[in-house]
Amino acid sequence: MKLNRTMVVVFLTPALLLFFAIFVYPIARTVVMSLFSVENVTSSMNEWTFTGLKNYRDLVQTSLFRQSMWNIFRIWLVGGLVVMSFALLFAVILNSGIRFKRFFRAVIYLPNIISAVALATMWLQYVYAPRWGFLTNLFSWLGLEGLAATQWTAAGNKFWALTFAYCFGMVGYHMLIFSSGIEKIPHEFYEASSIDGASKPRQFTQITLPLLKGVIKTNITMWTITSVGFFVWSQLFSTVTTDLDTITPMVYLYLQVFSTGNTVMTREAGLGAAVGVTLGLCVVLIFVLTNLFIRDDELEY
Amino acid sequence: MTTMNKKTLRRSRQLNWKHEARLIPGYTLLILWVVFTTILIGWVAAASLSTTRAIYRGEVFHFAANGLNFGNYVKAWNSQNVSVFFANSLGYASISTVLLVLVAAPAAYVLSRFKFFLNHPIQNGFVAAMGVPVVMIILPLFAVVTQLQLLRQTVTIRLLMIVLYVGINVPYTTIFLLSFFSNLPRSYEEAAAIDGCPPMRTFWKIMLPLAQPGIVTVSIFNFINIWNEYFMSLIFANQDATRPVAVGLYSMINSMKYTGDWAGMFASVMILFMPTFILYLFLSEKIIAGVTGGGLKG
Repeated sequence: MKLNRTMVVVFLTPALLLFFAIFVYPIARTVVMSLFSVENVTSSMNEWTFTGLKNYRDLVQTSLFRQSMWNIFRIWLVGGLVVMSFALLFAVILNSGIRFKRFFRAVIYLPNIISAVALATMWLQYVYAPRWGFLTNLFSWLGLEGLAATQWTAAGNKFWALTFAYCFGMVGYHMLIFSSGIEKIPHEFYEASSIDGASKPRQFTQITLPLLKGVIKTNITMWTITSVGFFVWSQLFSTVTTDLDTITPMVYLYLQVFSTGNTVMTREAGLGAAVGVTLGLCVVLIFVLTNLFIRDDELEY
Repeated sequence: MTTMNKKTLRRSRQLNWKHEARLIPGYTLLILWVVFTTILIGWVAAASLSTTRAIYRGEVFHFAANGLNFGNYVKAWNSQNVSVFFANSLGYASISTVLLVLVAAPAAYVLSRFKFFLNHPIQNGFVAAMGVPVVMIILPLFAVVTQLQLLRQTVTIRLLMIVLYVGINVPYTTIFLLSFFSNLPRSYEEAAAIDGCPPMRTFWKIMLPLAQPGIVTVSIFNFINIWNEYFMSLIFANQDATRPVAVGLYSMINSMKYTGDWAGMFASVMILFMPTFILYLFLSEKIIAGVTGGGLKG
């Protein structure tokens, strides 16, 4: 089509203005800010003093931040493995010629549209509740009194209780992405291999998995992005402000920068910026690594 | 596949018990998952209509004995400004969703139709922005907004929230609609041009209506995302008059937990849960299409 300059400019300007105001400028300013000592988030730029990498060094030496990174790493790795396994399993089952596919798919995705505050409260106050809870009732019905008496949200168990509840809500999203990948694989591949005598598991490892490379990459990237923003769940599961079991970098940033009147931390907004940059770098790093290890051959069916 | 083929396929599947038998493990797993989800939501729904005493006794499903206590909802609704929270959420989500289409659709259209040297950099920038965590942008946004003194009045906070929600979702919405516009044949514009319709008018009168299915999908998706957004509203709209439901009900749930009003607490959870759930009941297929539709390679 013939290039229409006025139209291009008029149609793109609002979107680009917002893009620069909400993404480009703030990202640049966060990166710069992380290299400065900034007493208050709202301090204007001429009050900043350059301190180089001091914020990052301070962060590394803060045990609370280290704990938060360790927590998010475990959620990312263990939770990721759990979520991806279930998501892939469900995607395969849904595409194996099952009845009521749409119904099952809709129910599994349902938790993703529920507000995290509501979903986390349902888990906390029902599934894990000590008196009337689902797990308590289930285990005492099964006669496992030891498990029934477990305090799921007590200090030692809380982290895994949190991770598991969070995973339940995330399976649906990643299942849909796997499923969309599987749907694109031509049926003839399976028919041909069936004729050649390949078993179902063999078909899965030799046809489905290799052809899902691109989708696996998407899933890992999306999982990383959502993990980095882990906040609400942590807030709901924590009983005190700085709960070591549940603290994540985003909660740490919130406490460091926005929480008023906490005495635990020194006021330093530059640290908050350094947290932001660290998390951003984590996303980039994992994105680069997945692209290195999972070669995406351009597929044409 | 012809209709004939489909029919015979369906008939053969109806009779093929061997095929169904092999799927039993799959069915079992799916049914277990569905049962658990149903119990989870069903119990909370029942508890929200029961009484705190019945919850303690584990008798939330004894509707005959407990009665249906809609009073829990009334109490929850009146105990704080839930109607204000609700109106705020509704306002933020619906206005932002409409504005998003008005901003993103023209951008997506231009990017899908014209070749110019910034086209691909812009597209890549938008795709990259979809992966930017909020922590990377929240501090400067907060600093700028405070310097502009936008956090002092209810009106400016509300406008700010809408601008933020639109801005944050522009990349995703544009990329989603871009793939949609690329699939529309160019013959429409050519015909319109021959009839003397100027290109910008062609877009609003012909192309935008043609993209309606994509616009509806992405809008529902945006609406739910904005309704459920938490962190930004916690930072920027942190006063009663501007709070959306998620943030407002969070503090309510907390206080009811401490006063031991469990029935009221579960009613609050249901108030937060119902709007998106009802949308989902009617539009689940569209929402599911929205997840895999835009910007995701695979």
